Amino acid sequence: MKAKKDGSDVRIRTKGNFNQTLAPMLFLLPNMIIFLLFIIIPLFQGLRMAFMDWGIFVEPQFIGLENFKDLFHDEVFLITVKNTIVYSFLTVVLLTVVSLCLALMLSRNSMKGERVFRAVFYIPSLLSMIAVGIAWRFILGDELGIINYVIRSITGGPGVQWLTNGTLAMMCVIIVSVWASSGYYMIMFISGLQAIPGELYEAARIDGSSAWSTFWRITLPLLKSTVLVVLVLATIASFKAYELIVTMTKGGPGYATKFIVQQVYQVAFQEDRMGYASAMSMILMLIIGIFTLVQFKVAGKDGQYD
Amino acid sequence: MKRTLAVLFCVLAAFMPLFAGGSSESAADEDVTLTVLWFNDANESEVFEECIQDFLAENPNVKVDVQVVAFGDYQQRLKMMISGGNPPDLARLTTSDVTVLASSLAPVDPYLADPAATKAEFMPSMLAFVLNKDGEMIGYPTEATANGMLVNLTAWENAGIDVRELSKTWTWPEWEEAVKKVIAANEGMEYGLAVDYTMHRFATLLYQFGGSFMNEDQTAFDMVKPENIATIEYFKHLHDEGLVPESVWLGSENPAELFQAGLVACHIGGSWNINTYNTNVKDFEWCAVNSPKGEIVSSVPGGKFIAAFKDSDHLEEAMALMASFSDKQHNEQYCLGTFNISSRTDAEIDYPTNSEDFAVFQQDLMATPAFTAIEWSSPEVTQNSTFMLEQVVQALMGNITAEQACQNIQDRIGG
Repeated sequence: MKAKKDGSDVRIRTKGNFNQTLAPMLFLLPNMIIFLLFIIIPLFQGLRMAFMDWGIFVEPQFIGLENFKDLFHDEVFLITVKNTIVYSFLTVVLLTVVSLCLALMLSRNSMKGERVFRAVFYIPSLLSMIAVGIAWRFILGDELGIINYVIRSITGGPGVQWLTNGTLAMMCVIIVSVWASSGYYMIMFISGLQAIPGELYEAARIDGSSAWSTFWRITLPLLKSTVLVVLVLATIASFKAYELIVTMTKGGPGYATKFIVQQVYQVAFQEDRMGYASAMSMILMLIIGIFTLVQFKVAGKDGQYD
Repeated sequence: MKRTLAVLFCVLAAFMPLFAGGSSESAADEDVTLTVLWFNDANESEVFEECIQDFLAENPNVKVDVQVVAFGDYQQRLKMMISGGNPPDLARLTTSDVTVLASSLAPVDPYLADPAATKAEFMPSMLAFVLNKDGEMIGYPTEATANGMLVNLTAWENAGIDVRELSKTWTWPEWEEAVKKVIAANEGMEYGLAVDYTMHRFATLLYQFGGSFMNEDQTAFDMVKPENIATIEYFKHLHDEGLVPESVWLGSENPAELFQAGLVACHIGGSWNINTYNTNVKDFEWCAVNSPKGEIVSSVPGGKFIAAFKDSDHLEEAMALMASFSDKQHNEQYCLGTFNISSRTDAEIDYPTNSEDFAVFQQDLMATPAFTAIEWSSPEVTQNSTFMLEQVVQALMGNITAEQACQNIQDRIGG
């Protein structure tokens, strides 16, 4: 469409231009069908289920907002929401800082063995979170864990309750999550850092800018769009954390590391309350949406640098 | 023209996978392939395939596709297949699966010459799991399991205690007194007892203390009673005394691994641990002993089943395969091969090792009240077992009292 000077619209005809009109649509069609079948339809199906009393083998009944009303009086759900927000906030902040620090160290091509280090830090992000969880359970376990074995051997006293103390368990889960994912985000930061023109650093050096000042005035502002992508991706991933937590702590001790996704799984597949679990999923989606929107709003004000 | 053909080709290529599944069914209308969904505790799928060879030889048109799924994913996969209208022909099921899936399972009775005679071939506590509301079988019990106590025999001998003799009559206070001596006598032994982190295993203690989940005639959920409160309080007492490691119920450590590492004197677990320990424990001797008595002696019955689904296209063949697999000869072969207790009353299995241990579990099982099987057939109990477990843990952590834990469970499940 093209606007005329007098304000009326004129339709531009592209008749016969197959390469510009129909062909791209045809190539996109398979992906669009998959997206529709596996994302859009299940999303609306989930939304519909959230308003139903629905077990997997019983006839669904429309109950309006009952599931949502119950959620706000469900003590366990509220605990899992709180836990998820605490975990996500701390994980995303740490993950961003750690992966940015790693990227800053390993993006200059000035250190010997830089590529080896990059690979070493990246490898954990290739592992299955289930394998990571099991491996760390063997490292941090109270009785059979390697760390406590060393502590007991040296001190002769009892080990540390890494996974049976609520606060320590949450801390361990956060640290392991950061360990497992920082390599992935480090690669994103490295590509962002390498896109910053070298002339800017040269000019800063000539002007006598300190390393600290260069980071705050050149590197970080020009990395803003990468930081935003990392923040959004890390936030979504942390809100959906499941495998690592279940294999490491099973959500315990008590409810200390139980997050929304684990509760959704339990309610849906163990308690057979699919409608209630769908309502939980909708709340989770809403929370992720709000967090993502806030991040876009905050960064979007002056985020168009590159 | 070329352009039109190109467009047509693209559209066909895009949609081709959607049509791919539909054409194979009619090609071989005489040959039947039965899909069997299976999970393994150890080597069960392998032994199952050996046991059905006679059936396959007698029915050359039938083929069996055994799909083995990890236990962690099994229930979700099975439920998704059923709710998607595409169930397997047959599946291996746990007690809770049978309860939850009952409405999807095909009744066996119409395919039996003498249903009453077939039912009489199985232990009543096992049969109870697979009877529907009309009293029809909706599957066959394969192996029976029971909860019981396994002890580190070497450690008990080091303490100078004949645990086999003592366990014939011991009570929980007597066990507690004795196990403290065992811990003291063995360097490196930290704890007296590890209990699997499941409500099913906790129920062993609950029943021994005279408790139950439901009322006397099993018509309603009834959790708030002195026996149940006393059980949770006693379990907390064992934790507070340091006799039970916190890392199992508050952490996520595997009690079987703690037992195998020689850190605990006793383990309350399932009968399948006999197989595991027989393979893994090399550093000390171990054996099964009768569980200590509370108000009563009790185990918790459990087991595995094989069942066919109503929506199966090959119900006759599925029923015939189940009947063959569950007859005396093949059930004995299966239980011997998988090192399990048979659910048939007439099974005579000469295990190469550990016959005494199996006998101990069977003794506990025989002393177990019949209502326990009915409770574990109830969806209220099986579907809410994780919630109940969490409430017990809250009580162990001191966040709520034992009575509050029972009340919370009652409020959620009993309404």
